[in-house]
Formats: sequence, structure tokens, C-alpha cells
Amino acid sequence: MGWEEMQVRGYLEFVRTAQRYHGRPIFALFCGDKDAEGRSWCPDCVTAEPIVRKELHNLPDESVFIYCLVGDRAYWKDPNNEFRKNLKLTGVPTLLKYGTPQKLVEEECFKAELVRMLFTED
Amino acid sequence: SVQAHKEEDNPEKTMEMNGLTPVQDSYDYDLIVIGGGSGGLAAAKEAAKYEKKVMVLDFVTPTPQGSSWGLGGTCVNVGCIPKKLMHQAALLGQALQDSRKFGWQFTEEVEHNWMTMTESVQNYIGSLNWGYRVALRDTKVTYENAYGEFVGPHTIKATNKKGVEKLYTAERFIIATGERPRYLGVPGDKEHCISSDDLFSLPYCPGKTLVVGASYVALECAGFLAGLGLDVTVMVRSILLRGFDQDMANKIGEYMKEHGVNFIREFVPIKVERVEEGTPGILKVTAKSTTGNEIIEGEYNTVLLAIGRDPCTRKIGLDKVGVNINEKTGKIPVNDEEQTNVPYIYAIGDILQDKLELTPVAIQAGRLLVRRLYAGATTKCDYVNVPTTVFTPLEYGACGYSEETAVEKFGEENIEVYHSHFWPLEWTVPSRDNNKCYAKIICNIQDNERVVGFHVLGPNAGEVTQGFAAAIKCGLTKEQLDGTVGIHPVCAEV
Repeated sequence: MGWEEMQVRGYLEFVRTAQRYHGRPIFALFCGDKDAEGRSWCPDCVTAEPIVRKELHNLPDESVFIYCLVGDRAYWKDPNNEFRKNLKLTGVPTLLKYGTPQKLVEEECFKAELVRMLFTED
Repeated sequence: SVQAHKEEDNPEKTMEMNGLTPVQDSYDYDLIVIGGGSGGLAAAKEAAKYEKKVMVLDFVTPTPQGSSWGLGGTCVNVGCIPKKLMHQAALLGQALQDSRKFGWQFTEEVEHNWMTMTESVQNYIGSLNWGYRVALRDTKVTYENAYGEFVGPHTIKATNKKGVEKLYTAERFIIATGERPRYLGVPGDKEHCISSDDLFSLPYCPGKTLVVGASYVALECAGFLAGLGLDVTVMVRSILLRGFDQDMANKIGEYMKEHGVNFIREFVPIKVERVEEGTPGILKVTAKSTTGNEIIEGEYNTVLLAIGRDPCTRKIGLDKVGVNINEKTGKIPVNDEEQTNVPYIYAIGDILQDKLELTPVAIQAGRLLVRRLYAGATTKCDYVNVPTTVFTPLEYGACGYSEETAVEKFGEENIEVYHSHFWPLEWTVPSRDNNKCYAKIICNIQDNERVVGFHVLGPNAGEVTQGFAAAIKCGLTKEQLDGTVGIHPVCAEV
């Protein structure tokens, strides 16, 4: 069985989804919300998303890829939002391997090599 | 033109003179670094800056207890970093006690949870391991988690944990394989004892612990374990902190004794047996006196060996390429440019003979070496007046000569020692010891009373010492020190 993608919005939905797939490798990409035309308020997220998607075929079997929209710009800027407080996110985009200290933040997500390393290496 | 023709006929000879052995094809890499610790990573990252093709091999042979860890070497995984964090955990315990005198009120007794601390520490270390991998990948340094050993000139074999072997060649090599803890060589040591390699990721609280050894590793570990509330005993064969100023070493020992660490002096373990299974279970240690025939026994949950570290140089094929090592110690002698007797093979870090075993020294040596190799620099690593700190419960910072070494080098009549006890202001209110913190400087009378040794025993000793190390490097004299106005109220003003 290959990998599968789940798309979620907001912290609660993210946590519920991650819990549902406990036991399988979980990778998550956090981005700013998208408008009606599908553009994110976060320019770095716009750049990173296609680069990350291009590497998804490298995901190990059984993994779950959670694509998570965190909220609007005002919510993200609030230093007490749940993503910052509980998941210790410091920026968007963030690509991480859930349950490990392995993550790529902001411009690190632009580098296909690093994305591939996160997906394929221990 | 006759001359040119001659050199063309013998390009191999010219290459040999520059320390390069010629091969027909070009090498796989410009530089292969064996060991991904403080020294190795610093050297690799520096070489990548000069657009060299670099590979780093790092491999951790699991301990007898099965412990292993990620990229970064001893300091990051099983040394300085977790040590300082656990030392901090112990200091916080003390601070909690002190805080009552400063007005903080809490009714419950405060207890320590080993697993919570260890998980936090290991999580931080994991982020460092990952950070190093990102840094290497980003700077195009090839990293392989494989055991490297020389198999012939310019050639190493890399074996990964699945046993797959690959061969690589390089123009130059840097050996930075570091050290691992030594075992006693008595029955039961490998089966039942742990070392610092295991302690920082131990998945259960060590409980009542016997620490064997009197190195800074032994005293620092004993110190924080006691600070976390555990019953700790230190078994010492002879003196404490060999190589350090003995006056200071004894003060450290006294302080630890007065603060709950038991010492058994002049004994060595001769047998370790398991009495009860469990995590941690119970071990029985039999020890013999070094001064007579007395035998003693004791029971502990955990036995931590900290009797020294041995270089990882015996099984990396150095004989295949002719690199000399000190057969007795395993250390590698190098010249003042970190070059071994084989011109294209260099070595840095803890494995070097007669050099300091410290992370910043390895990093500095690695960076400067690479700059000399690839950027035309000439600066050599300065191993003199390197500051250090021992993070025992009462911290000890030092730079320069110990009192004994100064006497030996300059003669007793030519040195002047200025010293003082001090009582940190923060210790007054909670009524902590008023005569334990201590500072001394050793001056060379014949050279304008130049400060040749600096020693301080007290809180934040490392922070205090760093600035004085810079001053000593600039040639600080007693007069200049006297002329420097102190910051008040801080310990450093003494």
C-alpha cells in the first residue's frame, strides 16, 4: 500500500487526523489559508507547495501526508496560536515528520534535496 | 626547456614531494572525513565552503548495553550537551530549595522525574542530529552512516549497519574518530555496568548509583545525579581530576562530600554481579583496596564507569596506510599542522597525542587545517591558554597553568599566587556556604607579573572564565587586572 494524503484545516482537525493514523509514518505540510482563487496569503507557501508535492512519490509505503491550512494571516501572527504553542511551529511553510524533531522550515522547504531527505531517510 | 622536459617525464615525483600519491584516475573525493563529531563536521563544512568534494563517514558502534545515537559525535549526543542540560536540571533543583527563602511558597515537596528530563534532552539532541544532516546536505557534503577504515593508499572501505561495503578514494583524509569509554576489564563490567554513552538516554531512573572513576566525567555525572536526589557514591582509585590543579580538585571533592556524595577512596572494583533483575535491578560490586588487602562489597542499582576514554584508532586500518599511532595509548602523534606521518592523512580532536580533548579545540583545529589546505591560510591552531570548565555541583573554570605546573615551569620563587574566597550574593539569603567559592590567579613575577593561570570555583564558572581567557591571551598582567574596575555585585568582580 503506497501513501495517502489528507487535507485538513485548523489545529483541532490536524490533531484528530494525526491521532487517527497513529502508528504510521506521518508527514505534514503547514501552509497559510488560501483565498477563493486558491492563492495563499503566505508567499513562501506558494513557492514551497509544488516543490514538496513533486517529492511526494518518495514517501515510504504506509505513510500519511497531511496537508494542513493553519488559518488566516491574523491567526498565524498571534504568538499564542495553537500551532505555535503546542506544535512549536515557528513559521510557515513548515514540513515535518510528526513525532520526531525532523522538520524543514520556510526556505528549507524550497530545496528538493532536503525534502527528499526528510521523506526517505531515517 | 630541458628542465621542463625532465619534470614532464616524472610528474609522479613532483606530486610525491607535495604529499600526494599519484593515481591514474582522479579520486572520488577531494577530502574524506572519518568521524562526524565536533572536529569532523567543522572540517567538512569548512571544506565545502571552498567548493571541495567532501564526504563524511560517521558510525556509532553500539555500547555493550545497546545504546547508539545519531550524527554529531560525542559532544552533541553523549557528552557536553546532555551533560550540561542534566547539570542544569540539578541546579534547578537547588534553586527550587533556595527559592523558599526568597519568598516562593509551594506546599508540595518537589520531586524529580528522570524520564521527563531524559525525553526532553533526547528530543533536543535529535533536533541537533537533524540540523547537522540538513547542514551537510545543504552544503553538498556527502554523508554516509557507515564505518570507515583504510584498506590501501588513498582508499577507504565504508560498511553500513546492514553490512553493505563500498570503497571510496580521496586525495586527502582527516581522521576524527574520537574516543569511547574504557571498561575495567573485570568480570561483569560489560554485562552489567553502564558508561556515559548509556547514561544520557537511560530509559529508567538509575537509582542508587556507584560511579567508578575520578575524571571530570565521573565527578560531573556523580554531581548531577546527586543533585537530582539520587544516592550516589564515587569510587576513586587515587586522586581526583588528574591533570587539573590539585588544590582546586580537592575543594571540588570536599564540596561534593559535604553535599551528599559519598566517596570511597583508594579502592578499585574487581567484580560486578547481578543480584536482582529489573530496570534498574540490583548489582553487587566487590572492590579491593589499592593500599592493602581489604575487600569491600556494596549493592547499587546502577554502576557507571567513568575511568577514562580510549581513542578509536585501533580498528580503522591505519596499519594498511602506515599511519603511526602510540601503541600504548592509541593516540595519533601529529605535527603542529595536524599532519600524521603520512602526508595526505591528517587527524584532529580527542585522538591527538598531547593535545586537549575539548570540542572547541577540535572545531578550531579542523577549520584552520582546512583553511590551510584549501584557502592558502597559514594560521595554526593555538593550543596554549585554552580555557575549560568542569561542571561539577560547584563549577570550576580554569585557563592556563595549574599551580603545580607553574611551579614546575617557572620555579616556586618566581610565581606569586593571589587568591580569595568569596560568597556569591545569591547564596546569602538562602544561607548557602559562605566559604566555598574561591578564585586564584598565578602570576609570573619575572614577566611583569603576567597572569599565567586563572582558576575560579563558583556558580557560572564557565561564563566567568571565558572573558578572562581572552584577557590572558592578550597578555594580562596583575597590574592590568587590578586596574580593571569590577562589576558589582557579581562573582567575577573578585
